[in-house]
Amino acid sequence: MSELDPNRSEADRLIAAALADHVRRPAPRRLHDQLARAHLAQRSPWRTRISLAAAFALGAAAAAAVAVGVVRPPAADAVIVDEAVGDHLRIIDAQHPLEVASSDLHNVKPWFTGRLDFAPPVSFVGDDEFRLRGGELAVFLGHKAAAFVYQRRLHTISAFVFADAEPRPRTETTERGFHVIAWSAGGFGFALVSDIGWDDLRLLEARLRS
Amino acid sequence: MVLSRKPRLAVVAERAGELSLAEQALAHVDELYGLARHLCQAPSDAEDIVQETYARALGGVARLAPGANLRAWLFRILRNCFIDQARRKKIVLEIPDDTVGERAGSEAWDAASLDQLRYLAAADLERALAELPVELRFIVLLDAQGFSEAEIAEIARCAPGTVKSRLSRARDRLRVTLKESR
Repeated sequence: MSELDPNRSEADRLIAAALADHVRRPAPRRLHDQLARAHLAQRSPWRTRISLAAAFALGAAAAAAVAVGVVRPPAADAVIVDEAVGDHLRIIDAQHPLEVASSDLHNVKPWFTGRLDFAPPVSFVGDDEFRLRGGELAVFLGHKAAAFVYQRRLHTISAFVFADAEPRPRTETTERGFHVIAWSAGGFGFALVSDIGWDDLRLLEARLRS
Repeated sequence: MVLSRKPRLAVVAERAGELSLAEQALAHVDELYGLARHLCQAPSDAEDIVQETYARALGGVARLAPGANLRAWLFRILRNCFIDQARRKKIVLEIPDDTVGERAGSEAWDAASLDQLRYLAAADLERALAELPVELRFIVLLDAQGFSEAEIAEIARCAPGTVKSRLSRARDRLRVTLKESR
């Protein structure tokens, strides 16, 4: 059969058409949601990509505004709390099992290997009061993070761990009805989210820190 | 750089000047996931590299030149993310020699076999794609996404001539595999 065989060319054309129909697949809803939460935030670098000249002018104006007390610089902590609550809602609303469902920390931690560019420094294996249910991937400040999921009676608690070189003070915040405790240690950020009481959440914080 | 078949959302985003760069970038999630899903065996791996693509894009967006081809840039990042993941998982990216391509041109296509292609089952196409070496699969899938050969060369960081020859080899192998599976 020659190179210019019209049937062969027609076969190529039909295969190319089938491929074009087949190549696009809708991404899972949760992936859309995670990306939108991570990248459509008002303070995302996507929105602040501006020319150097404009950046300089805006920077000078912003610095002047801060100096005279007109505006305050945005707190990354607010983004962390917002992302923590958003990801916690995703975990408790999910119709599917956790990405790694296990009560054994020695199954959960290795699952993150290759999925994260850091090893989450979590050593609390769970106990009778806080049962480990498993883990999920999350996104914090535009980077992948680990979510460890614990159970306290009927309540779910998400413990997020993310690489964060910036030291941050410990904070306790309530957002959308959820309590959030956030802190940083050793180049990592931590955020605990749940609808349990403050005392219970602080108990888990103590176990994670010990 | 002219794109031959842009997804509707991206076109809409570009026409609407008020849409942010992030919104324009997120209009390509389905396309990126579609490609990733054909490169990775597990859906979770495909989701991971799409997440990683946007995380890296976020880090590099300040260096993106005004008027740059955002879509091609995202696909290039996705390719890098996939290569990193493949190395971690020890997936072979090189194109091995085999006899499938050598049989190209000797297969006979009559009206009946062309009809079978017109009603090709997705599962058959999926199997044929899966048998392609990863590098060839990547190139032929970019072509199916509507990228020009020049754009594919930019995304895959290779010469346009290499794209042309790899596309030809990929098409040969797909045609032979689909014919022989009948």
